[in-house]
Order: sequence, then C-alpha cells, then structure tokens
Amino acid sequence: MSDAPPAGDAPLLQIHALSKIFGQIPVVDRIDLRVMQSEIVMIIGPSGAGKSTLLRCVNRIETPSEGDILLEGVNMAGEMRNGKLVPDRATVTARKRRRIGMVFQRFNLFAHLSALDNVAIGPRRVLGMKLSEARALAAEQLARVKLSDHMAKKPAQLSGGQQQRVAIARAMAMRPVLMLFDEPTSALDPELVGEVLEVIRALAEDGMTMLVVTHEMQFCREVGTRVLFMDSGRVLEDAPPKNFFGAPQHVRAKEFLRRIHAVPETDALA
Amino acid sequence: MGSFDWGAVWYAVPYMLRGTVVTLEISAWAMVLASVVGIVMGLISASDLGVLKVFIRAYVYFVRGTPALVQIFLVYFALPRIGLELSSFWSGVVALAFNSAGFIAEIVRAGLQSIDAGQTEAALSIGMTNRQSIMFILLPQSLRRITPPMTNEVITLVKSSSLLSVISITELTRSAQLIIAERFVPFELYAELAVFYLVMISILSWFSEFVEKRLA
Repeated sequence: MSDAPPAGDAPLLQIHALSKIFGQIPVVDRIDLRVMQSEIVMIIGPSGAGKSTLLRCVNRIETPSEGDILLEGVNMAGEMRNGKLVPDRATVTARKRRRIGMVFQRFNLFAHLSALDNVAIGPRRVLGMKLSEARALAAEQLARVKLSDHMAKKPAQLSGGQQQRVAIARAMAMRPVLMLFDEPTSALDPELVGEVLEVIRALAEDGMTMLVVTHEMQFCREVGTRVLFMDSGRVLEDAPPKNFFGAPQHVRAKEFLRRIHAVPETDALA
Repeated sequence: MGSFDWGAVWYAVPYMLRGTVVTLEISAWAMVLASVVGIVMGLISASDLGVLKVFIRAYVYFVRGTPALVQIFLVYFALPRIGLELSSFWSGVVALAFNSAGFIAEIVRAGLQSIDAGQTEAALSIGMTNRQSIMFILLPQSLRRITPPMTNEVITLVKSSSLLSVISITELTRSAQLIIAERFVPFELYAELAVFYLVMISILSWFSEFVEKRLA
C-alpha cells in the first residue's frame, strides 16, 4: 500500500529509550519498540499507564523528554549532523507528521467544516491539491468508511460513530504509512462501537501499520498481531494476542485481565 | 430654572450633522486600521513567535494601563517628532487606532485560545503548521465568539472619538462645544450631543446584531 516500502526487514517504526517526564514523573519510561510494516500493535493497560502519551510522542504532538523515534529510518526530532542531533524547525516537524495519521478519543473533527471538507482540508492545505481534487479524494475516503450519504453534514449533525469514521477518513486522506488510534471507541455509545471497529479492521486487512490504544479486548484479540501491556510508563509484556490472553506472564497483566474479566476464571478452577 | 432654548438646539443641527460625518469618518478609518493591526497582533499572540509576543504584551500593557486621553496627546505630539507631519484628522485616526488595536489584539487572542485544544492537535496531526492551524481551523471557529466583544470595541471607539476634540478636530463633540462658546447654552447643546451619540450607537448596535445573526 505504501508508496515507499521499507527495504527488506527494516522496521517501519523504531522507538528507542523513549521517556516523557511531566514534572518529576516519567509517564513514559524508557520504552523501546520496533514495529514492522503491517503490524497491528494493540496497546492496553490501566489508565495512567502512559499509553496515550506514548502515541502522542510518536507524532510529536507531545515532545518527548528523551529518546529517539525513527519512522522509515527518519528521525522525527531532527537531523544528525556530525554525530549531533540538530532539532527540526516547526515546518519540518509538520512535514514529517504527514506520514503518521492519528485518530483521537474525542474525534476532534473541525467543527466549522462539513464531513467532506474535514477530510479535504489536509490534502488541500497541506498537500497543496486543487480544491476539486482534494474533495474528490475526500469523497473517495468517505465512501470507504461508508459515509457517502453524510458528506455535507457538519460534525454536530453526525453520531459519534459517524464522526469517528470521518476522523479516520481524514487521517487516511493524507496517505500515512502509520496510523495511531488513541482509544478510538472509548467516547462512543456501546451500540456505535462496532461500526468504528469494523473500519479499523478493514484498514488492518489492507495492510496498514497501526498502533491502537484500546480497551476493546475482543477486538484486540481478533485484529491485533501483537499486544503490548503497559503499566507505570513501562511495557511489561509484548506478545502475540493468543499468548498474552492465554498465558499472561507478568503479575500486573494477570491482575489487569482479571479486573476487566478478559480471562475465564481459570485461577478459580485451578 | 430658565427655559429650554429650543432655538439653539435647531440652530446647532446642521453643524452637528457635519460633525457627525467627521466622527463617523474618523471612527471608520480608525476601526479599519485598528482591526488590521489588532488582528495581526492577536494572531501572533496566539502563535509561537516568542519575541514578537513579548513586544505585543508590552504594547497591550501600555494601552490598557493609560487613559485614552493621554494616549491621544502622546500620539499627537509624538508623530511630528518621528518625522510624521499628519493633519490633525489623521493624527486622530492614528491615536484612536493605537488605542483600539491593543484591545482588539486581546479579543482575537482570547477568541483563538478559547477553541478546544483538540482542534489544534487534530490540525497538527494532519501535518498543518501552527500558522495553518490558526488560519484555517482556529480563526474561522473563533469569528462568532469574537463578534460581540468586537461590537463593544466599535462602540467604545466611536465614543472615545469625542476625546479628539482636544486636538482641535471638529468632530461631533467639538462642533457642539463651538456653538456653546458662541451662544452660552451648555445644557441644551450637551443634551443634544448625547442624543446624537445615542442615535449613532443604536444604529451601530442594530447593525452588529444583524451581523451576529448572520454568523450564527
């Protein structure tokens, strides 16, 4: 799908010793992570574990305190010159961010724009397409999330599930190589969760690489190729879903799964 | 109590209509100038341009912390010193705009910053620069919130223009004062003056209510 596939088995995303410290507290604490093309990485854990902050550091909406993030080998923070990292200017950071799509818990659709223009404004203003081209691309993306009938509506006229699908189309219109989902269904009424998960599942099946912070364990198990369990800013487990849900290793992971009833009461039976 | 001199009131009407025109002209020019300068300063205040922001904060601090009358005298006497020989009309325009731009900058800044931070994050996430996010996302959304305080600012500006009588611009207030000096009818003329301002401000308010409804 990507127009610049990474050569051989080089990871698409490399995170090295990433920390984010608020005040004195490391919300993200020395995280290392390598994500290959088309991996679906589900990030779970209790609230306050640093899952969202990790995602927000990847596209630099949050500036990391320490560590490196490389997307397709390109450092998101700056350029190496004579062995020293020279920080990017803001415009360069903005250009690098285009490669990463993000979907937010609270949708964050542009309130003054129609669904169509929410999706078109990136291609139009950031990629410099003609308005007609940008709108055609937007219409195409909205069709993929089955919203062709709602293109003229403003966000306030759409249901939460519809808004989140527009948000996914908006991110996809920039043709990212990596998608970040920050609890994409947590703000939705239960009956609207399914339609959003369907869209994400379809993207996964198309080979889009993604990091998904989620509390939907069923979805996590079915769609994820990998599960990261985070607590207190650290990645405590990193395993395929089957292994993680079948036989969690870390005591905190076991506790977490028991608390959200994601495992059968095996302990009781044992 | 003496009788009310209606004759003086009628006598003054044509002079005061002429003064009204001057007041409106000055206010309109000052508002245009103040809006341009104020909006630019407000946009900068909400952006990430550090040095300019400090300068603007100092400017706003000064404009808020000193009386408009003092500012008018300052501008009037300062302009010639920096080689700008303006007519008193244009000195008045600059002085009023100098005052109003500071308040407009604050209105615009507050309007932009009142928009939910998620909007900026979404704009950045699709690769917009800070400037693009302000221009295409925050500014259009803050227009409606900015309109009511901007209306107040227009009204304040029109009323403040009466202070320009001190630098001998024959706007509405000074045209009344000239007739008072000629006929010694202060009460009648100041009452008439108040009515003139009231009518002017009422028309402005109706107009801005109309604009607000159109934006809503």
